[in-house]
Formats: sequence, structure tokens, C-alpha cells
Amino acid sequence: MPSLLGNIFKGWADYSKGVEEGGHHDYEHMFAMVIDLDRCTGCNACSTACYAENNLATVGEDKFGARQAMHWMRIERYFDEPDMDPDKDKVEPANETDTQSRGASFLPMMCQHCNAAPCEPVCPVGATYHTVDGLNAQVYNRCIGSRYCANNCPFRVRYFNFYENAESWPAPMDQQLNPDISVRTKGVMEKCSMCIQRTRAGRDAAKREGRDLKDGDIQTACQQTCPTSAILFGDLLDENSVVSKVWKRQQVKLGTYKQDKENSELRGYRIFEELNVDTKVLYLERVREV
Amino acid sequence: MANHHKTLVHKTKRVLGLFGDFDEAFEVIADIRRYKVPGLTVDDVTLKSPIEHPEIEDVLGERPSNVPKFAFWGSLFGLVFGFIFLASAQANFLAQPSGGKPIITIPSNIVLAYEMMILFGVLSTLVGFIIGAKLMRKRDGLYDTAITVDQIGIVIEVADEQEQPLKDLFAKHNVIEVHEETLS
Amino acid sequence: MSAQQNLANKHLTDEQTKDIDENIEWAKINADVLRSMENPRRGYWVAMAISVALFSVMIYAEVHQYIYGMGDAGLNTSHMWDLYISTFVFWIGMSHSGTLLSAILHLVHADWRKPIYRFAEAMTTFSLLTAGIFPVIHLGRVWNFYWVMPYVSDRGLWPNFRSPLIWDAFAITAYLTSSVLFLYIGMIPDLAICRDNAKGWRKKLYTWLSLGWRGDDAQWRNFRFTYLMIACLLIPLAVSVHSIVSMDFSMSIMPGWHVTTFPPYFVAGALYSGCAAIITLFILLRYFFKFEHFMTMPILDKVCKLTFVIAMVWTYLNLVEFASVWYGHDIPSKEVLLAKASGPYSPFFWGMMIFGSVLPFALLSKWVRRNMYVLFFVSVFLNVGMWLERWMIVTPTLSLGYHPQAFNVMWPGWVEWAMVGGSFGWFGMLFLVFVKVFPSVSMYEVKEMVYHRKRTVYEDVDEMMNLHSGVPGPVPGSPPTPAPQSTGGA
Repeated sequence: MPSLLGNIFKGWADYSKGVEEGGHHDYEHMFAMVIDLDRCTGCNACSTACYAENNLATVGEDKFGARQAMHWMRIERYFDEPDMDPDKDKVEPANETDTQSRGASFLPMMCQHCNAAPCEPVCPVGATYHTVDGLNAQVYNRCIGSRYCANNCPFRVRYFNFYENAESWPAPMDQQLNPDISVRTKGVMEKCSMCIQRTRAGRDAAKREGRDLKDGDIQTACQQTCPTSAILFGDLLDENSVVSKVWKRQQVKLGTYKQDKENSELRGYRIFEELNVDTKVLYLERVREV
Repeated sequence: MANHHKTLVHKTKRVLGLFGDFDEAFEVIADIRRYKVPGLTVDDVTLKSPIEHPEIEDVLGERPSNVPKFAFWGSLFGLVFGFIFLASAQANFLAQPSGGKPIITIPSNIVLAYEMMILFGVLSTLVGFIIGAKLMRKRDGLYDTAITVDQIGIVIEVADEQEQPLKDLFAKHNVIEVHEETLS
Repeated sequence: MSAQQNLANKHLTDEQTKDIDENIEWAKINADVLRSMENPRRGYWVAMAISVALFSVMIYAEVHQYIYGMGDAGLNTSHMWDLYISTFVFWIGMSHSGTLLSAILHLVHADWRKPIYRFAEAMTTFSLLTAGIFPVIHLGRVWNFYWVMPYVSDRGLWPNFRSPLIWDAFAITAYLTSSVLFLYIGMIPDLAICRDNAKGWRKKLYTWLSLGWRGDDAQWRNFRFTYLMIACLLIPLAVSVHSIVSMDFSMSIMPGWHVTTFPPYFVAGALYSGCAAIITLFILLRYFFKFEHFMTMPILDKVCKLTFVIAMVWTYLNLVEFASVWYGHDIPSKEVLLAKASGPYSPFFWGMMIFGSVLPFALLSKWVRRNMYVLFFVSVFLNVGMWLERWMIVTPTLSLGYHPQAFNVMWPGWVEWAMVGGSFGWFGMLFLVFVKVFPSVSMYEVKEMVYHRKRTVYEDVDEMMNLHSGVPGPVPGSPPTPAPQSTGGA
């Protein structure tokens, strides 16, 4: 075991440096996403791809209605309320310029991989922590299922195995499972990992070939499947990556909850930024007609 | 007549006197303190009672208890050991930062070290109690179950020549029963 | 009025004003309490059967949950915690009363606590043992519960000390250990009394447990200091334990939970439900064991008044929490508060307010304080109010939270209700065993109470009589003239 005092001093040094640099540790990568809500059509392909890639169980209609589903990536639908005037005989349609031309607004929501994640410090056994890739990792082996992390997540993107979901794949359906990732037992918490199996595979491939990781080496399942390329994934510490260019263009910085934007027309925002959890998914607001 | 030196008299017997009236029993002790029985000092007296009597402490003399020391040192140990233990456990896992918080978090360690302080304080008080009260040892023979009901007992080790004056003193103060046993 | 009636009325007045009759014989104290530990009658076995039945339902529910997962408890993605946590907080809360009575009232020399603190301290220990079940059974993978303990593992893993749940584990372990030791040490002189009067397996048990207690002055002196030291350590511990339990909520960021007044609010609620439980158990023990001489009406009167005061403290902290939400502009918190008052859970919220804040005013009425049947139901409903309070802390926040897509109304499943009911069965089992094996009234402390009250009475009466008759009063500091004391068997 490394020296005790040495570790205490190193831990303190890392922390103070992180405070000075706006909350960062010595990260090797800082994986982040950009989701363009104007391009999102609500087709749910990303959600389906996530189900396939990460061995998510389909729980059936009853349990879905009881909110015990396992969808790591969910498409949220927002409808504007139509004008309701009790004196009139019929309901007026909502103002056309505020809604999409037909139906709802869509928002793909998954784990935001907050740099100051509220779910991390509250796990009693330390089953969730921040990796050197900048991702929030969930260690299934360590989780004892106290569910405090899920309560503390303001986005409610953590999902618990309330049942033995492995029963969703009776033979020969278990042939469809992805061998790169485990099937979780009951009593374990899970959430979007930004396809950590693909992230690690990509990093290992780059290391084997003796080169640096470049943008486009790693694609998450949702990014790969999105028909309109609404989802972008990449490394913020790589200046040439698409996501870091978008983040810079939108003038959104990590490590602060008050963004200093010169141009108020910029579409980029983070959800629940005022909670100061430092999320890493940038949403580009839907373009509204003026 | 008053023998102020502590002479080494060979004690042959242990005598227990049972009293129903607590004030009479205290008078006996006060008399022994005033050397009414030659050779016996108040240090030889053991009081056996059904309830505690802090008021008799002045008469019985200075007999300090070590329990507060045990409590203090035990608590201090718990506090310091608790903090060091937690900090070292956290320091061994630098790979696991969480929530944007430092690896060794002082506020949580204070809370936990506080709990350890009280836990160790209580445990060491218990140890101090067992040691100080000489519990869990082989007991001396003289005991009467009336002590747990409502009678008070005075136990004194006496030499042969002190036995009768002591019994006279007891009788003067309305003793109910007298037991004795020979010391081996 | 005739002399006969005078005497009868005088007796009535004394019984209604004196905490204890100072002329009671010490042998009678022993005899009455030891008689309560004799072989039980039919009523006891009925109570035991009910407790065991409830506990069996809990075992069945836990086995079901172990095999099939937590889904049947009614939990879902929004409501990850429900009745398990709120009942856990309820039981921890109930445990604070014993500490209040034993330790705090001991430090302020309130000797009226002496006949009643023994069963209160037992109630503390058993509430903690009941509460300790819930952090284990609410886990998804129960069989790994020991990972929260800081032990040296071959993988070099330690629990995450930053988590309030770990603080819970430490705090409850410390509190349980300290309470058990406090109860045990305080019982040693009583166990000596039991040892001297027992036969068979009981004699062996008490001999072993009383550690050779002889009543020596050295033993009493060390005992006095030990009791004082542990009382002084236990009071800050009790305050910190329930504060730490409240931090399960206040250290999270959820609206309605992230409230800085939670630690004192929870501690006040704990003292409140504990005092109400003391009233309930007081009435039961007094009735079934005929402890009228020790658990007297004036003492019950004082406990009721204490309960009322604590109820008002709790009410104030409750209203202060609402006031600070109303005053600020934190929209999610405001919505949670409005949902509590007018949303789907509002019947339970208003039940909590009525049982917790309005019902204690019944304790102001002297008629209620003297009427055992009414008082029993009042105290039970006070505790129902406190259980509802814990439920209303957990569930409305989870039903709203920050994210609109997570809004969800959820009602607990059968598994949860079975566990909650079963916990009462478990507590009942432990308590029923306790009252038959150990003395539920502290005999030596009652004797102390009688002794000190007698001395006070006689000193005052002496002075008064001497003043009136012209004889110079006794010199202050000298022992009082001996008056006939009650003897055992002369």
C-alpha cells in the first residue's frame, strides 16, 4: 500500500488544484455530448439502440406504467398547454409559433455525467464515482442497492433493477445480448455510462496502435443510430473534436454555473445549471420562429 | 487512648453488622472515625447498602474513583483514532473522487470521529467501572440478602482484642444482626 | 365531616399530589416488582402471540422480497425510498425518550423519573434494535449489507465515508452499544436484588449478570460516577444520532429535503414520539402489573406536561420550515409544500398536523391527564401523527422533485405495509420478553426516591413543629432526630 501520508498530501494537492482550475482533477479525457433539439424528431431510435447495446430489459406494459422501466435514454415529450377558455365551446389550438409544427417538443434525457455529481458522494459503499475519462461510473458489483444516488439525482436518470430482469431473455433470446457488458441482477442500480464498453475499447485500440485518441474513434450507440445526427459525442480536452468546438462556440464552460455569454441568441444551455452540478451534456435549444 | 498511628495489628476476623436504621449506622461510622474502638480507623470500614449514600462520603474519608479518568482518556483516544482511521482509509483510495469533493473530506470525518469518541468513551467507562468497583472477582464471604432489601451493613476486619468493643458499639446503636467469619 | 372521612379525603389528596408515598416499605418495593416477573398469565401470552404473528408476516414479506426483488414494495424510478426509510426514522425517533428520561432528567436531578426510566430505557434499546432492521432490508442486495462496515478487506475497499448512510451506520452502532450498556449498568444493583430472590435458571442468569454486586460503598461510588459519565456522553450522542439520521435528507439536494432545520426538527420529533410512547407503556405496565404505588398519577401528570412542551417545540419547528419555504423564492420547494397541503397526499399531511399539533392540547386538560383510557388513545394517536410526519417527509418530495418527467404519485405495496406492521410485532416481542426477565421498575432508585423524600418531609416537619411549640429548632447541619423508619424483617 502506498504511503499513508503521501496519499493524504497528494489528495489535498489534487483537490486544491481542482479548485483553482474550476473543479477539474487530472483527467485524461473529458467525454461530453451535444444534443441538438432542433434536429431531434423524437423517433426513439437512440433509445432503442441503447436498449440493444447495453442489455436493457423490456419490462412489459404494466411495469412500464408503474414507472419501473429501465430505459437509460428516454425521449421526453413536452406539450404546450392549449388555451382553455371556459366560455368558449371549443378548445383553441396553442399559439403555432411556440410549438413544433405538429405534436410535441422532444428532449433525449440520459445521465448527464456531472463533474460535481450529487449521486456520487452519497453512495454508502462507493459504487459510483468519477473516472479519469470524466464519466460517472456505476460499479454493479459493488452496489448494494440503497438507492440514495437515485434520490439525489435531480434529472432522475438512475434506474434500479426492481425485478430479476434477466428473465426478460428466455433462451434463445439471450443470444441477442451484448457480450461486452454484463446483465445486471436484481437490487443493482444502473444508468447511462456513455457506452463505457465502447469508450474503453476505443482507448485500448488507440493505445495498442501507439497513437492518441482522435475524434470519431469512439461512437456511443445513441450517436451512431441517430438518423438526424442530433447527438454528438467527443472529448472536451481534445481541441479538435466537434463537441469542444460546439461548446466553445456556444460559450459554455465547465466548472461554473454562471455562463458569461456575449451573444444572447446562442442556443446552447445545460439543464438545471443553477444546481451547480456541472453537467456535460449541452443541449442546443430548438429554433423557434420569430 | 486515641491511637493515631496505623499500627499493624493482625486481623483475625471479619464482622458484619446489619442495621435497620440508616442514621444509627452512620453514627457507628462516625464513632469509629472518632476512634471509639482502639485500633480501628475509618479506612477499615466497608459500607454495604441497598442504595447509594453520597452523604456518608465525608465521614468515610477520601476514597477517590478512577472512572472519570477512564472516560476522558477513552473519549480522547476514540476521537483521535477515529479521525486517523477514517483519513487513512480514504487516503488509500485516490482513484475514487466523487461529487467534486476532496478525497479526505473533513466535515464527514468530524461527524464520524465524534461518534467514535463517544463510543470509545462509553466502552472505556465500562472498563473503568468494572476495574474500580472490583466486580467480576471472587467475592468475600460476608453478605446478607437483607442488604438488597432495606438494611445497611458495616463490614470491618478486626483483631481479637477489637472484636468485643466493636460489638458493644454495634449494640449501642441498635444493630439487628451480627455475622462474622474468620479470616484465613 | 367525621374524622373517618377526613382521613379518607386526606388519603385521596395525598395520592393526587405526591409523586410517591414516602412511607412505602422497602420490602414491598422489592416484592411488588419481583412479582411482576413471575410466570405470566393468559393476557401476556395473547399479546406475545399477536407480536409473533405480526413478526411472521414481516418474515414472509422479506423472503418474498429477497427472492423476487423490490418491485412488489411499490417502489419505482421516482419513489426510490418509501415506508422503509420513514419507519426507520420513526423507530430511531422513538428511542430518544429513554435517553431523555434516564440521562437528561438525571442531570437535572428530577427524581420523579426514577420509577419510570427503566422501561423507557428498555424501550430505547428495543426501538434501536427494531430500527436497525430497516437499513438492512431496504437494500436491493441485502446479503451484502456488511459492506457498510469498515473492515479490512482483501480488495482494500472501504465504505464511502462521505455518505450520510455511513454516518447512520456509525451513529446507530454507537447509540445502540451505549444504550444497551447504559441500561445494563443501571440494572446491576437491581439484578443483585433479583439474584438474591431467584431460583433455578434465573438465579444463574442474574448471578452472572450482576457481576458480583454486593452493595459496597466503593461499588456504589464507582457506580455513581459511571452512570454520570455515561449520561453525559449519551446526551450529545442522542442529539447527534437523530441529527445524522436527518442528514440522510438534508444532505441531499432534493426540494423539501435540503432544509437546514431538519436536525433540530427531527430531534424534537424524536423526543415527542418517545414521550408519547412512554405514556402508552406507562399506562399498560401500570395496569397489567399493578404498579400503582410506583407509577403514580402525579408522575404521569408530569410526563404529560413534558410531552405537551415538546409537542409545542415540534410544532414550532414544523411551522418554521413552512414559513421559510413561503418566504423564499425556491419554486420547487414551494411546489412540494403546496403538494403536501393540497395534493394527493394531503389527507395524511393534515392528519399529521391534527394529531401532531392539535391533539396535544388535550394534554392540557386535567381530566384527560387523569383518565387512563382517554390518555392511552391520545398517546397512540400522537405516535400515529409522528409516523405520518415521517412518511410526509419522504414521499411528497420524491413525488415531485426537480424534473417534471419524474412527477409520480405512488402508494406503498403490500410488502411495505407488512414490514411496517411486522416491526411493531418485533418490538412487542422484545419488550414482552424484557418485562418478564428483567425488573421493569428500578427498585433501588425507587428506594432512593422514598429515602430522600422521607428525609425532606421529616426535616421540614421537625422545623415547623419546633417553631410552633417554642422549642429551639434543630441546629442546621446536624442530622435530624431519628424518626421511626420502616424496617424489613426485624
